[in-house]
Amino acid sequence: MKLLQNLFDSIKPHVEKGAKYEKLHTLYEGHRTIFFKPSLTTGPTGVQVKDAADLKRVMFTVIIALIPCLLFGMWNVGHQHFLATGVVDATFLSKFLLGAGQVLPILIVSYGVGLGVEFAFCVIRNHPIEEGFLVTGILIPLVMPATIPLWQVAMATVFGVIIAKEVFGGTGMNILNVAMTSRAFLYFAYPSQISGDMVWTYLGDQVAVDGFSGATLLSYGSAAAANGTEMMAGLGGHWYAGMFDFWNLFLGVIPGSIGETSVLMCLIGAAILVLTGVGSWKIILSVFGGAWVMGMIYNLAGTNSFMLLPAHYHLVVGGLAFGAVFMATDPVSAAQTETGKWIYGFMIGVLTVIIRISNPAYPEGIMLAILFMNVFAPLIDYYVVEAHKKRRLKRATI
Amino acid sequence: MEVFNIALRGIFIDNMIFAYYLGMCSFLAVSKKVETAFGLGLAVVFVLTLTVPVNWLLQEYVLKEGALTWIDGSFESIDLTFLQFIMFIAVIASMVQLVEMIIEKLSPALYGSLGIFLPLIAVNCAILGSSLFMVQKDYNIIEATSYGFGSGFGFFLAIIALAAIRERLKYSKVPPGLKGLGITMLITGLMGLAFKAFIGIAL
Repeated sequence: MKLLQNLFDSIKPHVEKGAKYEKLHTLYEGHRTIFFKPSLTTGPTGVQVKDAADLKRVMFTVIIALIPCLLFGMWNVGHQHFLATGVVDATFLSKFLLGAGQVLPILIVSYGVGLGVEFAFCVIRNHPIEEGFLVTGILIPLVMPATIPLWQVAMATVFGVIIAKEVFGGTGMNILNVAMTSRAFLYFAYPSQISGDMVWTYLGDQVAVDGFSGATLLSYGSAAAANGTEMMAGLGGHWYAGMFDFWNLFLGVIPGSIGETSVLMCLIGAAILVLTGVGSWKIILSVFGGAWVMGMIYNLAGTNSFMLLPAHYHLVVGGLAFGAVFMATDPVSAAQTETGKWIYGFMIGVLTVIIRISNPAYPEGIMLAILFMNVFAPLIDYYVVEAHKKRRLKRATI
Repeated sequence: MEVFNIALRGIFIDNMIFAYYLGMCSFLAVSKKVETAFGLGLAVVFVLTLTVPVNWLLQEYVLKEGALTWIDGSFESIDLTFLQFIMFIAVIASMVQLVEMIIEKLSPALYGSLGIFLPLIAVNCAILGSSLFMVQKDYNIIEATSYGFGSGFGFFLAIIALAAIRERLKYSKVPPGLKGLGITMLITGLMGLAFKAFIGIAL
């Protein structure tokens, strides 16, 4: 610590106001506060803030909550690889290392490019370094398939950071979730690398086993709905028996984006977020609630076998859990009012299931549902506040 | 059920703003405050719900080839379609005049804040656009009314959502060059990205 203190102290005179590198001051301050508390303090009069939990600490809490998902994702990428290529005796370590070999480059590209853009903006626009990207940079890889080309990750990151965040002035001022915008950009610009059945399982140069299919449960569902066939009957002959059992889906040993598959790991993350007060439990709960209610409505209306998929399955397939825990709870783009959070979350759940089942264009709906409700979150807040004002005025007696 | 679906399609799938990018000028100009945007949105809903069926009648009984046969059988070969634009615009303009008088009477404050953009609804392309789409899509009168209401409501939803976002944007630090219209255009694009959620749903 002493060493670091000395290092930062020796740099300080060069980046202070009027010194040669004063433009780099924000960059210096951003790195210093990783290790030391900010030198800014509140004035002697007025409100005193005495709390170590600044933006940087909050963001690190989210990163800690994401680590179970990340580690599980690395293992699962390797596991799915060996399953698909028919290697039965692969060890835990070899699975993990193979997955890490796929996932780490994506993570490095996302962090490298994103922080580069971030630093450039903070120097040009002279605003403090924004820790928001620490979370975005780990979220972006987790919502990508393991086979994504690295240049696409870089492009998506640049688009997300600039268009979804920096043009609004940086962290805390954006209207759409940055990671979701990046993914949506790739989704519409290069659909063949981020959707379809073949992108979810990393095969490398190996040949897949006979009868292998990388399809997820949701793509089986939309195919069944489109062809009017029986969904569950199609699953009976699946190349890997038992893959789509409820508990297997819950554990997440299935093909999918790197970090989204395991509901269990998402729930561990949710527990960390809720206990530390970083994420809103209302949003998480209401997203699951909305999806379940809408699933039940489809069950009742059911005209094809996808609609009849039991409602609780909707909670464990696809990216619903990951989106609910880490994307929908983004405190910037979500609704800010307490009543608003319930409405916001519930609508995300409802829309996700509607898009999954009724929209043949997209097999999974959580990404667009979150973006759509991000757009309407300020409106929800506006009317919640208006209603509140009206109620208070009515109560007021003169 | 079909009538209901047409309205839903107009609101979410074929949204005037995010699917066709029509009617942008009032969308961008009158979206600074939710209250004003709400007023303009309602005016558009009202005008569209009335003009589309009226224009439908006009198209069916006056303009279309052979439409005048209800007067006399010998008019069968007359085709007045070339008058379509001017007739539709005339109907729209008179409806807007009506709305203007109503708003001025009922809410002078809203009338003041809408300013020039209220009469300018008359040349809002979303409104002429939905009349022309209605002709193209071969609706009957009930479907046409439902379509008019749906596309109006889609515009309403879009403009109040944008207004709420712009009200929140007051706390943002937008680069000086992008302030005002620039950032609003970007937001519109991002909102369009979110509205893609519904494109592809077959109703």
